Amino acid sequence: MQWAIATAAFLASAVEFVEAFTIVLVVGITINWRSSLLGAFAAAVTLAIIIATLGVALVKWIPINDFRLIVGIILILFGLKWLKKAILRYSGLKALHDEEAIFEETMAEIRARGETIVPRFQPFGVALSYKSVLLEGLEVAFIVITFGSSATNSTGINGITSAAIGATIAGILVIGAGVIIKAPLTKVPENTLKFIVGIMLTSFGTFWAAEGFGFEWPLSDAFIPILVVIYLLVSYGLVTWLKWNKQHQLAMANTSSVSTTATEQEEVRP
Amino acid sequence: MKVIKAIYDFLVGDMIILVGVIIALLVLALINTVSALAPLRGATGSLLVVVVIAVLTATLYREAKGQR
Repeated sequence: MQWAIATAAFLASAVEFVEAFTIVLVVGITINWRSSLLGAFAAAVTLAIIIATLGVALVKWIPINDFRLIVGIILILFGLKWLKKAILRYSGLKALHDEEAIFEETMAEIRARGETIVPRFQPFGVALSYKSVLLEGLEVAFIVITFGSSATNSTGINGITSAAIGATIAGILVIGAGVIIKAPLTKVPENTLKFIVGIMLTSFGTFWAAEGFGFEWPLSDAFIPILVVIYLLVSYGLVTWLKWNKQHQLAMANTSSVSTTATEQEEVRP
Repeated sequence: MKVIKAIYDFLVGDMIILVGVIIALLVLALINTVSALAPLRGATGSLLVVVVIAVLTATLYREAKGQR
């Protein structure tokens, strides 16, 4: 079991499962739970097939160094995307992800279609649940395949298994919590999870991409925590800078509006 | 075209990140293949870290500028 890989897959999956669960919940409440769970189950099976076939096939066919380079680049791209969103949200430039808004929006969409609660399977409900779980899960599948297969020795199965275990535990926890609460999981610190995953993906991506070029890091694998610390410090600095920038702009806007009002009053005076 | 756009959105969804990482890769590939640039090979790791930080800063700077 590779704990770093399992943890990264767990965190990434938790974020995506929370998003997917919101739609599954809406379908369950507004149409019926049979259709909703069937769609979610079918999507989970599809994702498992993708991971099992594509993951193992990629590891078997591509030489490990080339594979690490490709995977490193993909992880850097994914990591930067997640990190950017999380930093923007922390600094207040982007709204925090609101599961309740998605819940209400999808609910309104289903009501507008005139769907009502029926006991039998509803194709629309199954399709909506399937689509949402598959789309959110695809990113997780990608992370599990790339992350798992890179962190491996010769076969690649160990890393993928660790990542798949992390993702499965996240899925069980999110669905379990959702079934108990029966409401959108708004209490899950989605942005913090996204930030941590962004840091981990970027750090591992940097490490593997450089290794793919034949570069040997000082301290070998022990350099990964150093990369994590570097990216954490940089992210902290960027959040601070963006917050300061936002406050500075607000102050400038206030000053200019006050001076405009003063000028207008001067002009009005006889 | 729709497929390419979907893959782009799925993978990265940000042109600065994509272009920045591609340029970094090209430079690193040059350093690691051209023998005249061999002395720079020891800096591959630090170069990649610097580029990643620069790309992140650039894309965030664009977002902050866009908010004005």
